Amino acid sequence: MAEKQAEKIVYVSHPASGLARSNFPLETHISGDRIVRSLPFHIPEDTRLYEIKTTNRGTYTRPRKEVQMPLAIAHKQRVHSENRVRYPMVREDWSPKNPNASMRGISGYKRIGWDEATDIIAGELKRIHETYGSMEPVFVQADGHGHSGYMQSLHFWGHYLFDMIQKHLDWGWWTQQVRNPDSWEGYYWGAKHVWGFNGSLGEPYQDAVWDDVLENAEVVIFSGCDPEATGLGMSGGIALEMPKWLKKAGIKIISISPDLNYASAVHADKWIPIKPNTDAALYLAVAHTWIAEGTYDKAYVASHTIGFETFRAHVMGEDDGIEKTPAWGEKMTGIPSATIKALAREWATRKTTLSVYFGGPKVRGTLSHLASRMEAYVLAMQGIGSPGRQFLRIGAPSFYKKDLAQVPRYPEVDFKGLALNPMIEYAIGHAPVSPSFVPRTLAAEAILNDRIEWKSTTSALAKTEDQFKTYQFPPSPDHPGIRMVWNENGSQPGSWGNGWKWLNALRSRQIECVVGVHPWLENDLGFSDIILPAQTTYEHSDLVIVQRSDILGMFYQDQAIDPVGESLSDFEIHRQIGLKLGLDEAFPPAEDWLKKAYEGTIAFSKHGINWDEFKERKYVIYDSPTWDEWVDIKKEQGFSERGGGMSQFWEKGEGLETPSGKIEFVSSLISEHDPDNEERPPVAKWVLHEESPDRPKALDYPLIVMSNHARYRFHVQGDDIPWIQELQKVQGSDGYPYEACWINPTDAAARNIENGDVLKVYNERGTVLVGAFVTERIIAGAISVDHGAKMDIVALKNEQVDRGGSINLISPTPQEKYGDGEIKIPEMNVTGFLVQVEKIDPADINPGTLGDIATSAEGDD
Amino acid sequence: MENREFLIDVGACTGCNLCAISCKDEHVENSFAPWSAPQPETGQFWVDVKALERGKLPRLSVSYMPTFCQHCADAPCIPACPDDAIKTRDDGLVWIDPKACTGCGECGPACPYDVIFFNEDANIAQKCTGCAHRVDEGLLPRCVEACPHEAILFGDEGALQDERSEILKPEKKAAPRALWRDLPKPWIAGGVVDAARDEVIPGAAVTVRRLESDETYDAFTDSFGDFYVRNLETDGPYRVEISANGYENEMRVVEANKDCDLGTITLKRI
Repeated sequence: MAEKQAEKIVYVSHPASGLARSNFPLETHISGDRIVRSLPFHIPEDTRLYEIKTTNRGTYTRPRKEVQMPLAIAHKQRVHSENRVRYPMVREDWSPKNPNASMRGISGYKRIGWDEATDIIAGELKRIHETYGSMEPVFVQADGHGHSGYMQSLHFWGHYLFDMIQKHLDWGWWTQQVRNPDSWEGYYWGAKHVWGFNGSLGEPYQDAVWDDVLENAEVVIFSGCDPEATGLGMSGGIALEMPKWLKKAGIKIISISPDLNYASAVHADKWIPIKPNTDAALYLAVAHTWIAEGTYDKAYVASHTIGFETFRAHVMGEDDGIEKTPAWGEKMTGIPSATIKALAREWATRKTTLSVYFGGPKVRGTLSHLASRMEAYVLAMQGIGSPGRQFLRIGAPSFYKKDLAQVPRYPEVDFKGLALNPMIEYAIGHAPVSPSFVPRTLAAEAILNDRIEWKSTTSALAKTEDQFKTYQFPPSPDHPGIRMVWNENGSQPGSWGNGWKWLNALRSRQIECVVGVHPWLENDLGFSDIILPAQTTYEHSDLVIVQRSDILGMFYQDQAIDPVGESLSDFEIHRQIGLKLGLDEAFPPAEDWLKKAYEGTIAFSKHGINWDEFKERKYVIYDSPTWDEWVDIKKEQGFSERGGGMSQFWEKGEGLETPSGKIEFVSSLISEHDPDNEERPPVAKWVLHEESPDRPKALDYPLIVMSNHARYRFHVQGDDIPWIQELQKVQGSDGYPYEACWINPTDAAARNIENGDVLKVYNERGTVLVGAFVTERIIAGAISVDHGAKMDIVALKNEQVDRGGSINLISPTPQEKYGDGEIKIPEMNVTGFLVQVEKIDPADINPGTLGDIATSAEGDD
Repeated sequence: MENREFLIDVGACTGCNLCAISCKDEHVENSFAPWSAPQPETGQFWVDVKALERGKLPRLSVSYMPTFCQHCADAPCIPACPDDAIKTRDDGLVWIDPKACTGCGECGPACPYDVIFFNEDANIAQKCTGCAHRVDEGLLPRCVEACPHEAILFGDEGALQDERSEILKPEKKAAPRALWRDLPKPWIAGGVVDAARDEVIPGAAVTVRRLESDETYDAFTDSFGDFYVRNLETDGPYRVEISANGYENEMRVVEANKDCDLGTITLKRI
């Protein structure tokens, strides 16, 4: 075929995991300006793969074929999609003097040129500086996942731009949105107080952990663990491979989750359905069984932990009069008490490891800290770190290490092998760069309230002590507050709490200008005043840093196709604005950055492959050590041959990042800094809250939402791709692709709901529409709706609703618990909240009224 | 030329749908003459990953069956086509010639596996070609290349066959060149408890006998008191007998033409 001869191969980074690192790239075939296909990458035969050797259970490695998630392959459909932003645009009824804030999301756009767009933005920044005396009124949201190129498609450039403005122009600080630990939320707010692990957001370091698990573990508990959901996107194919290792090793998998999730549906030997957000009660009842039967590791508890007696007293009801028996656990969790006892006995008698993917929905609900703290307690009661008893994080084996990777890898490759973009510190950092900041979980509150006060910077890598410091916004009484929003993310209403509130905040009259930088007009981007068209990864050259994988490497990504419309890369967009402000020095051309970054790695300094050679050969993939080399590497770090995970703590009984160096049932830090906090007391206790199903509110809203990462989307990314929609949507009788809502046949029958019916899911915060998937795969009393569906605001009779099914529009915000008071734990609440579900007639949907929102720019090309 | 054959391993498939998406990536907007015209953007699944929810909460699992043209040696679609547009290649792959197809629609109902789609815009019938264009270049079909679990394999006829492999719907006598492993077979499951003591009963012996035959299956309850008697070969009725030391025997008679869950079974202490 003629087409065939013209095909070239380009290595394109994963389109959706972002944050300046990727898993292995797509091998994309390009013909002219057309994306023909994308194939899996095959790791060359001359790259040495690792082998994990066990005494009796065989040897474990990974395939050379590296597949990509369906989203990545289907992403080519998004490049020229209808809602692609092709030109700079300005909202037709916006001007600096008359922003018409209430029309955001409703009025249309007109096309402008780049010169005019950057003039307007430079002018707005000057105006803000002259009017308010600093850049602090500019709220910069620049921490989203986005595409996974090294720099061109990175979503952090807004922070860099404003950092350079304060540094070189002396216009003062900006207000930095600080990204909270989101997917890991509960471990950060809870488990860190038990065992530390600041560098891995409260989950134990994963150094060489597989060596021990595969050698010794007999049972692995999947605690809401679903590597099939987003796994390929975040970790590459290894996330799908690791559960197979467990099966090959003859390890029994017990899944504890409200839903029979995708990994559990095919891998679990036993599913224990649990009511959403009640895992803490299960752990208490399990602890009760062990205490009653004397089957916990008493010697370990004595030597490795502090404060157990206080916890024991709570379990036995000596402090609150409620003994946390398995029968009590059954009432809270919906798990039969006999099953709870059976689980406790299995856990006590067989070497049991607990596994998560990110943490699962159990740590992203109200009181997210509770489940993870209790989890750390019960793991301590069975001697975590002893052979076969670990905390196992499946997938993403480059994260979460202290000194060594999760699988055999040369430390030199880990620490010097890859060009890691320093911009990451703006989003996944130790502390905010700007002294004026707002946690992402409080973005709407910072605009809608005169003043908010909260504890913790919420920086992902902050030390635990930071959770006791009080901050406020605005930082002073005469501060103008937020006047301008810089949105590079487009994910606030779909991935964080109470999205309706955020949309209202964007329509607030105090917001004079909203700048959006994005390839697509979607979600809250449709509430921008000025939209700058960003490129997809196909449209520029970049580095691909393979860090989200077990095998590490770097690729040079050629530009695959011409830019769509007048789009520029995210970097180039900010560079153009920087040049307009005279920041030439701070914004050298992209090629200079890439070359410098590459030359900082051992590919150049040790292996001698210079930049031009690298661009020619396209990739460098690092060898893995042999097993014998790995055993020697481990010895240098204090691990025995089979040791890994927390084995050194088990051997020594000290060395954790807690003040005592031990596992703390009673937290030294909470005792010292916040001893009267009833929600998160020094020892974790069962605490009821407003989203508990036994509260009065539950009479109106009797079902509880479980919301996890979707299998085929990546958070909010890719929801509108036709092939992805075909896989995950429920087609309504009106032909519309509704977001799937899993509902148990019992709950469905009580509401006269059948498969495929269009439903409204609602509570006091609003309404979203979904499509019914009636299934035994979800426990009765709960529904499951994944987060990240693309917003589509319409009218249902006279009510404004979201037809897209973006469930986070109606999830809680942390402020609700505290009213006007100090927000003690600004956690992200995006699952485990109360709703009611009702069948609706799609004929009552009126897309012609309020539904004009965010669609009127389509005629602009 | 050797005939070629697929093998689909249901036990290995996790339902990730990479095969289905890769098939679309290969065939939508791409034509591979003479073997195929472009697939429409949506609506056709030349590989359709069918999800089969099995059992009842909490004894539930999902089996996935990636289903596509079985490339039958005696394909019923071929004689059903009045225009001789459906042909078998020298390597056994069955294809619908898009140039010869007149869109009469006779082939679809003739197919025992329901894998032929109709393209209204082009007025042709379409289906999996076995990626004939790739096979001709010595490459694997896209679904095989895409699968992370070796759940779809492709090789010379006979090479993938073993004692575990079987074909779908043998009664249709279409001689498919697609083998299957671990095809879902009915199970009888349940959970055994001592309600009086509020305990599960591990280690209880479960014997299942098909009435009026010698066909018997044995299982024991696990540490959660659950048992599964898997891979029943024929429809019931079956007699299920559960016995545990210190308890009265419990007996049930069940139909098992599909997965059958007996729920929670309470044994009485002697």
